Amino acid sequence: MSIRVVIVDDEPLARLAVKVRLARRDGFTLVGKFGDGDSASEGIAALKPDLAFIDVEMPGKTGLAVLAALAPAHRPMAILLTAHDCFAVQAFQLAALDYLLKPVDDERLDEALDRACQAFPYRGQGRPFPLPAPKARTFSVRVGSRTVLVPVADVERIEADGDYATLHAQGKTWLVRERLHNLATQLDPRRFHRVHRSSIVRLDLIAELRPLTNRDALLRLRDGSVLRASRTYMPALAEALQHLNRNPQEAT
Amino acid sequence: MKVETPLLVPVLAALPVCACMAILGLPAFGHANAVAFRTLYFSACLAWLIPLALLQRAMWRRAWRWPGMALALLAASYGMSILNALLGQRLAISLGLETGYRWNELLRGLDSCWLALIAFCAVHAVAVYYLSLQSMQLQLAQAQAAARDAQLRALRLQVNPHFLFNSLNAISALVSAEANREANRMLGCLSDFLRATLAHDGRHEHSLAEELALLDAYLDIEKARLGERLRLTMKAGPDVLGSVVPYLMLQPLVENAIRHGIAPLAAPGRLDILVERAGAHLLVTVQNDGRPPAHGGSGIGLANVRERLRHLYGDDQQVDAGWTAEGRFRVCIALPMRHLEVAAAAAAAA
Repeated sequence: MSIRVVIVDDEPLARLAVKVRLARRDGFTLVGKFGDGDSASEGIAALKPDLAFIDVEMPGKTGLAVLAALAPAHRPMAILLTAHDCFAVQAFQLAALDYLLKPVDDERLDEALDRACQAFPYRGQGRPFPLPAPKARTFSVRVGSRTVLVPVADVERIEADGDYATLHAQGKTWLVRERLHNLATQLDPRRFHRVHRSSIVRLDLIAELRPLTNRDALLRLRDGSVLRASRTYMPALAEALQHLNRNPQEAT
Repeated sequence: MKVETPLLVPVLAALPVCACMAILGLPAFGHANAVAFRTLYFSACLAWLIPLALLQRAMWRRAWRWPGMALALLAASYGMSILNALLGQRLAISLGLETGYRWNELLRGLDSCWLALIAFCAVHAVAVYYLSLQSMQLQLAQAQAAARDAQLRALRLQVNPHFLFNSLNAISALVSAEANREANRMLGCLSDFLRATLAHDGRHEHSLAEELALLDAYLDIEKARLGERLRLTMKAGPDVLGSVVPYLMLQPLVENAIRHGIAPLAAPGRLDILVERAGAHLLVTVQNDGRPPAHGGSGIGLANVRERLRHLYGDDQQVDAGWTAEGRFRVCIALPMRHLEVAAAAAAAA
């Protein structure tokens, strides 16, 4: 069963950007496109889509107002799009599925669509969808002509390098020919967390989290490495860290 | 002296002079005639203070020299004292104490009135001189701060457009090669960096955490360009992220390290950034692989950083750059360790 999608954005090129990327993926059907808040309100009420890409700043009603005006039961899963970066808190209050900053890159959009696929079967049941079980126990890494198995438990963080990813495990780095977004689905979300477009970290290695004025944060890991956490991941990261504090045995 | 002072200044300057005159007049109380004379002299002096103050201000406005002004004021107040004495004789005649004016005694007994007027002029001059000196010092300090600010701003602006156009050029190349995914990724990185620089409020300094985040956003762009040819570590000690560093201090150094050090290498190159505390100083070390250039010269980036640090911290900073024995280029910066909260409190107090 395909996920029915509407796109709401006042700029035609912005709608095109989502449409083109959506067309590359199976399991999504575009059922409507709207250019302003008012027609989007009517359209969403009439079409009852499963998923809506919604621009925040639009003439007439804002994207947030469109969502807020719908009864929670009739609200589609929402992925908010914005060039501005100060709506994250409101977006999460409205239980938006994700929150993307423009220009949106493919990696980040794919991740949002993965979330939609995961959440879809549980939609409308009024509870958060269960986290998918981790699939991999080891990563196989090709080094020259041989293959090395790196246990997932040893991995400290993963960094994206375009179509490659670098695994940092016990002081060594391994280059894997796989995209970060695919690796992310193989990790236990209670132990690992995406903190940025280009990095995943093991939560128990975070030694310091320092908020920045632009609502991003800087993380310092136990080995002294510093990396950025993007504001679009911050609410989820804060929740995961709290969860880790309550159930420390899960991390060991 | 061209600085205008408020009219309240001569009024305040007159107060001590009037007080002295009143106190000197106290013993005359009870002697009806003496009180009348004292009151006359006092009111006359008070009235003369107004034209005298206006005259003094007019001379300041025309920037008279001190000797000329002193002579003019002495002459004016002398004339006023004679007129006072004349008024005194007129009072004596009307009280029936004298029968006519005594012209030969007119020049005697001027001392108290003349002295009072001279004392007023002196107090007025000192007060105005002090006030204008203060406001001139303030203006000077403001002008110096503005000049320093403009210089720092200019130095900072050298940094930005340079790599902005380099990045746009790289994206344009990716689009031409139809490497859509990479082009998009790079646009994302560039937007991140622009967002981070736009969030900046124009201060010359910010926390190390902000600086490293900005650097990380910049490095994402370089990683997109160089891929696995760039091996990177960025580490910080446990107690340094809140310390204050100049805005965009690291980016030009790292840009140099990549452009002149790692990018020309055929093999992957390492870039190591380390920030740690050494007593009262913050040590920032940037090391990169590379080949020493045939000709010397450390480039505009390093000169820019040196200049900005000198402007901000005077002699309490140090920049060392050079090739290490292992054949890596190393820049080491030491600057005073200050925490953001402390710096903000100091700025508020100043």
